[in-house]
Amino acid sequence: MNKFSQFFVALAAGLAVFVAAWFFMQSAHRGSLPAIAADAVVPTQASPAKGAPIDSSKCILPTDYMRAHHMQVLDKWRKDSVRKGNRTFVNPEKSHFDKSLNTCLGCHGSNPMFCFMCHEYANVKPTCWNCHLSPMEVPQ
Amino acid sequence: MNQNRREFLKKAGLGALAGLGAAAGLFPAFALEQTDMSNFSDKPVPGKVRWGMLIDTRKCLGNCKECIVRCHHDHNVPDFGQSKSEVKWIWKSGYENAFPTASTQFQNPEVLERQVLTLCNHCTEPPCTKACPTEATFKRWDGIVSIDYHRCIGCRFCMAACPYGSRSFNWEDPRPHIRELSNTYPTRMRGVVEKCNFCSERLVKGELPACVDSCPEKALAFGDLNDPNSEIRKLLAANETMQRKPELGTLPSVFYII
Repeated sequence: MNKFSQFFVALAAGLAVFVAAWFFMQSAHRGSLPAIAADAVVPTQASPAKGAPIDSSKCILPTDYMRAHHMQVLDKWRKDSVRKGNRTFVNPEKSHFDKSLNTCLGCHGSNPMFCFMCHEYANVKPTCWNCHLSPMEVPQ
Repeated sequence: MNQNRREFLKKAGLGALAGLGAAAGLFPAFALEQTDMSNFSDKPVPGKVRWGMLIDTRKCLGNCKECIVRCHHDHNVPDFGQSKSEVKWIWKSGYENAFPTASTQFQNPEVLERQVLTLCNHCTEPPCTKACPTEATFKRWDGIVSIDYHRCIGCRFCMAACPYGSRSFNWEDPRPHIRELSNTYPTRMRGVVEKCNFCSERLVKGELPACVDSCPEKALAFGDLNDPNSEIRKLLAANETMQRKPELGTLPSVFYII
């Protein structure tokens, strides 16, 4: 076996190790995802121009999930509604929601301190309220 | 190094590669991320709708500023109190300023004195979106040239690129300069560019833009330019109309009846 083919075989072996590692990481990543991911939700047929019938009687996803992942949900909603025009969110219970901060504030806005209490405690300073009207500023 | 061990490793590596290749061929789900077709059902079709506006300058006369007041209130447009840092979404300009390249020779003096309502033209070929380095301003699927204020870095390239002066910059924090806060639309922050958004927040609810809705003379018409049966297309077919600076090739979506 000459030097060239030896090199080629070694390269193939290295590639195989990399591919195997990548598949391993992929499967591990998939396993670690939370049970309810915002991406896993199937969008509806509702036309974005007409908007969806909004059900605001309950939260979009379980409280524990929202407590840990509301920032990811909001980030995805922002991208979907502002840039892609996909404004309808359907949760696992098949309820429809408009992908808007106003959907959240429709209920949670009744407590003006809802966002601030936790952010104050966790010492996080989200920039949402630089532009969006917080429940403390909304004219009633 | 033991040559046998080396040979064994080479063959094992080749074998692993071949095995993975075979596995990927046999089970496509293993090799590629699965495509969920249901994700494509709700996506708007680009180019299917092209929102446009027709302004009848024969009806839009005098010092009426209903639409301007309504728009600037609904969208929390600040008033800094000086023309140098003025923020405007919709405003009135003189005929010769709105149509600087249109012939004014022996033009009807009444027309020359008209104040023409001007706003973002939502061009089909927008120069501003091409200038934006962060893709904060972009042409939407429905023809609206939109700004993602989350992404704007305030470089003002788009203001330089816009041939209609439709864009304004927030030189200072606009919040203290908003006369009356409206909860229909967010405000902006210091250092972002803003402009008319064709009331995309109202269109999504099935309502007409605030300026069209508030015009007491019904001088503004709004509709889908891609739909041959829409009200605006019938009006465009029935009247002689103009666009601002058509020679630039930006293909504005705002039309004027003179």
